[in-house]
Amino acid sequence: MAALPAKKFAFFPGCLIPVRYPQMEAAIRRTLPQLGIEIVDLDGFTCCPDPIYFKSYDKLAWLTVAARNLALAEEAGLNLFTICSGCTATLSETYQQLNANKILREQINERLARVGLEYRGTSTIRHVVTLIRDEVGLEAIGASVVRPLEGLKVAIHYGCHLLKPSHVMKVDDPDDPRILDDLVAAVGATPVRHGEWILCCGKACKDEEAPAQMMYDLLKSVAAVEADVLGVVCPSCFNEFDLGQVRLARQYEDESVKTPAVYFFQLLGLAQGLSLEEVGLHRHKVRAPALEKYAAAEV
Amino acid sequence: MPPKKNKPPGGDGPTIELDFEFKKRVEKVVDGALVNYCYQCGACVGDCPSARYLEGFNPRAIMLKVLYGFGEELVGPDSPAWQCTNCYNCYERCPQNVKPVEIIIALKNLMAEREIFPEKAQVGDLVNTVLETGRTAPVTSMTKKLREELGLDPLPDIDTTPLKKILE
Repeated sequence: MAALPAKKFAFFPGCLIPVRYPQMEAAIRRTLPQLGIEIVDLDGFTCCPDPIYFKSYDKLAWLTVAARNLALAEEAGLNLFTICSGCTATLSETYQQLNANKILREQINERLARVGLEYRGTSTIRHVVTLIRDEVGLEAIGASVVRPLEGLKVAIHYGCHLLKPSHVMKVDDPDDPRILDDLVAAVGATPVRHGEWILCCGKACKDEEAPAQMMYDLLKSVAAVEADVLGVVCPSCFNEFDLGQVRLARQYEDESVKTPAVYFFQLLGLAQGLSLEEVGLHRHKVRAPALEKYAAAEV
Repeated sequence: MPPKKNKPPGGDGPTIELDFEFKKRVEKVVDGALVNYCYQCGACVGDCPSARYLEGFNPRAIMLKVLYGFGEELVGPDSPAWQCTNCYNCYERCPQNVKPVEIIIALKNLMAEREIFPEKAQVGDLVNTVLETGRTAPVTSMTKKLREELGLDPLPDIDTTPLKKILE
């Protein structure tokens, strides 16, 4: 494949992926250069901060910390990409709110001035799946594949924060999204839509029983379409589905609900010729035997 | 004869005490004032996963209670706000752009102000971790081991002085 001219973007790594699931970061760092994307690491980023807990504490503080992160990318003169749906939600909402509301922006800039920064609203934010769809294109993504994942059935969990609110996220139609189905197809696998595909993973709900019931229903519907893996793009959802499935299988005494969760870029990595170890799939709680034959195939 | 207290018209139903002071507190939080546009259509309920799984959870009813000012019920120890999954379906569906989930988060902010968020909400711990380490999840020996195994650079410590300054 002819080398594409590199496009440079600031990399916003977030917290959960680099700290708890670095295999996802490894997959990102190894696959994007194959698509002509140059990853630029910047100093000084903090937690986005997270759109569930930190935002519950104080919305103004939440916007302020997010605006500081965005101001750092603006200083570097780069657009940002994120690899977690939560980071995408926080930074996109901050961008939308501060660009639309001058009073709020001034209020936050007074705070940022204390550390010599100003939010100007010049750097855009995109989740990495949107970035590669729009900047690279499905055809070129397919052209980077040397080991198509033919026959692999991937149930897709879009999750909530990648798509909604749609006029803020600007990713896809939240009632009939295509983006992840198209990306899965681009690596040669077969996307399958399951009955509960729109259901939330329930993580933020602090009820004793409801989140487990949501997860159980969702996973039963994934098992019903006989998917080999459950494709995700968010580390929070992943946590619910990886360690969470082990817990659920025990709680409901039902081993049938174990469908291994994988981060999309791990699949892309395998398809681009990387090993299971290079994309960290050997570290998941629920192992994915279906992927081993692809990893063993010669490139 | 003593003046009638907010009797619902045309009936002898229970008297409702309205508390506009509470609503004003909600309005002060970012996006909190949007609650005033709620016309109680219920579009937020149909796709709400918490309404599907939890009897009694109803985002439309929460909006009405904010408008009535039922503060004790909404920001007390048994607040329904913590049952919300933050899925944003209600925000997507609302024809009035009320952003019901944002009103629910505003209620959480009011509880945080009074430090009455329940321990299960994990809010206090997480905010402290961010202020101390710059991250929601602290770097552990497992982090270091995994990153080395994957050939990734070790994570740098984050200087949290700027965070503290902008949040003072």
